[in-house]
Formats: sequence, structure tokens, C-alpha cells
Amino acid sequence: MTGLIHMPDFFLFVAIIIVIASFVSLYRGIEGPGIFNRIIAVNVIGTKTIVLLVLIGFIYERPDFFDIALVYAILNFIMTIAATRY
Amino acid sequence: MFDTIIISIVILLLLVGLFFTVAGTIGFVRFPDFYSRMHATGKCDTLGEGLMLLALIIYMIGYEGIIKGDFVHALFVSIKIILLILFILLANPTSTHAIAKAAHDVGLEPWKKIDETEWMNDTQTDEVTNGGETG
Repeated sequence: MTGLIHMPDFFLFVAIIIVIASFVSLYRGIEGPGIFNRIIAVNVIGTKTIVLLVLIGFIYERPDFFDIALVYAILNFIMTIAATRY
Repeated sequence: MFDTIIISIVILLLLVGLFFTVAGTIGFVRFPDFYSRMHATGKCDTLGEGLMLLALIIYMIGYEGIIKGDFVHALFVSIKIILLILFILLANPTSTHAIAKAAHDVGLEPWKKIDETEWMNDTQTDEVTNGGETG
């Protein structure tokens, strides 16, 4: 990289902010009244995890993580639908 | 020059996506009601993550593909991330709608601004109407 910013370091910064946001969402998942707040907290943390997996794949330059992110997205969607139907 | 333009676009899109994600998280923690919390997260997460993944596609094609010259590998990775964006755009509003419909069917009442005198009287029943522990 010839620019001013080493790009994986910036990806690492974004990933750290996303992890902090996930823990803030986890507060609502633990504390929040009722079961629906917990379901939506799981949904929010799952969608943050997808971006986190793609960023990890960019940081370590391993494209295998994108397949894991796709599978995680499908699992998160199916889990939310199953939790709301039953 | 081309390098600088690509990196600038990527950093701008990542920061805007990060702003939307953090704003959605703050709304998810601070809003008073289940429905308004879902209003915060349902849109902000979809837009923020779409923007961040779009920034990563631009980085992949512009930097890895054109500057480093490994164009086929960059194309395959970009197709995977485009599929991921399309799936998020389909699945995230669907799951938000499903959760909202399930909460409405169970009978969760939306939050309303009430007078202070009613609020003084309603402190006992507040957990029942706002909690949804029966669902």
C-alpha cells in the first residue's frame, strides 16, 4: 500500500467499533423486557456478525470467510423466522 | 492518483455505514418501546451494512483487481459479497416484519405518551402492558 493509511488497520478499526456496538446491543438482549426484545437483539447481533466476518476475511486476506458469512446470513434468517412462528 | 480516489471512496462509505450502524444501536438501546426499537434497527442496520459491504466490493475490485492485477479472484469474491448484499436486503425487512407481526398478534400494546397523573397510577400495570412476558 502506497497511500497514507494502511488499509487493514482501518478495517480493524471498523471491526472493533462493530464489536462494541454488538456488546451494547447485548445489553438490551439481557436486560430488555419480554421475549421480543431478545429475539430482535439476536437478529441485530447476527446481522452485525455478517459484516464482521467479511471484515475479518479482508484483514487476514482469507476469502474462506465469505462463505461462512453467507451461511451465517441464511442461518440467522431461518432462526428468526422459526422463533417468530412458534 | 487512482489509488487515492479508490481509498477515499472506500473510507467514506465505511464511515457512513458505521455511522448508521452506531445510530441504530443507540436507538435500539434508548427508545422506550418495542415497536420503536424495531423502527430504529430495521432500517439502520440494513442501510449501514449494505454501505459497508459496498465499500468492501469497491476496495476488492479497485485495489486487488486493478492495481494488483488479480482480476478473476477479485471478481469471484465480489460476486459472493453482492449475493450477500442481496440476501441482506431481502431477509432483513422480512424478519423485521415477521417479528412485528408476531408481537402484534400476541397483543403487545404500542407505547403512548400519557399524562403524569395516569402514569402515577399505572406503575403497577406497566410491566404487563410493556413487557410481553406472556408471549
